Amino acid sequence: MKPAGKLVVLLLLVALTALCPAARAQDVFNPTGAGAPSAPADLEADELFEEEPLEVWDPIEPFNRGMFWFNDKLYFYLLKPVARGYRAVAPEPVRTSVGNFFSNLAFPVRFVNSALQLKIGDAGNELRRFLLNSTVGVAGLFDPAKQNGWLKKEEDLGQTFGRYGVGSGFYLVMPVFGPTNLRDGVGRLGDGYLDPVPFLVPGTLEYVGVKAYDRVNALSLDKDTYEGIKREQLDPYLFIRNAYTQRREALIEK
Amino acid sequence: MKFKRFAAILLVLGMVVPAAWGLAATAAMDQVQQTVDGVIATLRDKGMESEARRQKLTGLIRARFDFETMSQWVLGPAWRKADTTEKSRFIALFSDLLEATYLGRIEAYTDEKVSYAGEKVEGERAQIDTFVLTAGADIPITYKLVLRGDQWLVYDVIIEEISLVRNYRSTYNEIIRREGMSGLFTRMEEKIRELKATEGQG
Repeated sequence: MKPAGKLVVLLLLVALTALCPAARAQDVFNPTGAGAPSAPADLEADELFEEEPLEVWDPIEPFNRGMFWFNDKLYFYLLKPVARGYRAVAPEPVRTSVGNFFSNLAFPVRFVNSALQLKIGDAGNELRRFLLNSTVGVAGLFDPAKQNGWLKKEEDLGQTFGRYGVGSGFYLVMPVFGPTNLRDGVGRLGDGYLDPVPFLVPGTLEYVGVKAYDRVNALSLDKDTYEGIKREQLDPYLFIRNAYTQRREALIEK
Repeated sequence: MKFKRFAAILLVLGMVVPAAWGLAATAAMDQVQQTVDGVIATLRDKGMESEARRQKLTGLIRARFDFETMSQWVLGPAWRKADTTEKSRFIALFSDLLEATYLGRIEAYTDEKVSYAGEKVEGERAQIDTFVLTAGADIPITYKLVLRGDQWLVYDVIIEEISLVRNYRSTYNEIIRREGMSGLFTRMEEKIRELKATEGQG
C-alpha cells in the first residue's frame, strides 16, 4: 500500500455492460425524485450527480481479499518494523536522497513511456531532469531539476496502454506488490525491462535486496498512510480498490 | 496511497492562508483563511484543555464543511431510495464520522509546509489548489467549495487525484448493496465509537 507510483486502476472495462445504457442515463441520480431534499439547482448539474459510483471489476475478490490480508500482515509484522528501525538510524535528508536516487534511476521508464505516448515535451523534460540530476545532483541524490521547476511526471507502461484505449481488466492484489489490475500488472512486467538495477547488481539476491531497500526507504518517509486507512475506513479493502482506480484513471488522463 | 493527507485537510486549509495573503483575496479565499487561521491558532494554543480544543475545532469544521451536500453525493443512487429518516440519520452519522476522522488527523499535525497553487471561482463554485510539502513528495490537495448564502463551504477534497466524495460514494454503495442501509449504519456507528475511543491517544 504505498507510493504513488505503485498504485493503479481504471474505469473502462467496468462491468457496466450489464446495465442498459439508455436506462442508466436517467437512473443515475435523480435529485428531483420523490423525497429528495431540495439541492440548489447548480449542484444538480454537477458532474458528480451524473456519475455512476465508480465500479471496479473484481471477479476474484475472495482471492484479492486474501492477498490483502497477507500484505497487511507483511506490512505490520515485517516492513513497518524494519522501516521504523531504519528511520531511527538514518536521518531524513539521507532517506530523502536515497529516494531521489532510486527515482532518478527509474528515468528510463518515464522517458520511454512519455515517448511511446508521443508526449515529446514530457520526454524532453525527463531527459533534462536526468542529465541535470545525474551530474549537478550527484548521481541523482539531489533534485536540482525540481528547483528549476522541472517537475517529475509519473509515466509507466500501464498508463501507455490506457492511453491507447486498453481497458484495465480485472482488479488484482498481488502479494508483496499490492494493488494493480491486469493491464497495469502486465505493464509493470514490461517496465521491468527498462529498470537499470538488474544490470548494476551481480545477481538475483542482490536485486531483491536493492528493491527491498527502495521499498523500506520509501516507507520510512511515509507518515502512516496505511495505518490511517485501516483505522478510519469502514472497509479498507474497498477504499484502496477505489483509490487505486481513481488515481490510475487520473494519471492516464494526464 | 497518501490518504494520511486526508488529515492534512484542515491543516492545509490553514496553511494555505499565509501564501494567499499576497493575492487579491476573493470571498472564498477570505473565508477559508478565517477557518484556517482559527484551526491553526487552536492547534498552537498549548494552554487549552484538550476537550475545549476539540470542541473549538469541531465548531470550526462544522461551519466550513457542507455535510448535507456531501451526504447526498456520497449516497448517490441510494439517496433517492432512502426515506426521510434514513437521510437525516445518514447525514448525522456521516458528519460525526468525518469529524472524528479529521480530529484524529489534525492532532497528528507536524508542521508540514503547504504551498498555495491557485484558485478558481466560477459563479457559485470555487476550487483551491494546494500542495503539502513532505520529505517524500509534494502532495496535491484540492478543495472544492460551493457558495451557500454568503458562505463558501467545502463539499469535496481531492488528494493526489483521489476525490474523497467519489471514493466514499463507491465504497458506501458497495456496502449498501451487500448489507443494506442498516448494515451501513451499523458499520458507521461502530467506526465512530472506535475513533472516539482512541481520540487523543495519538
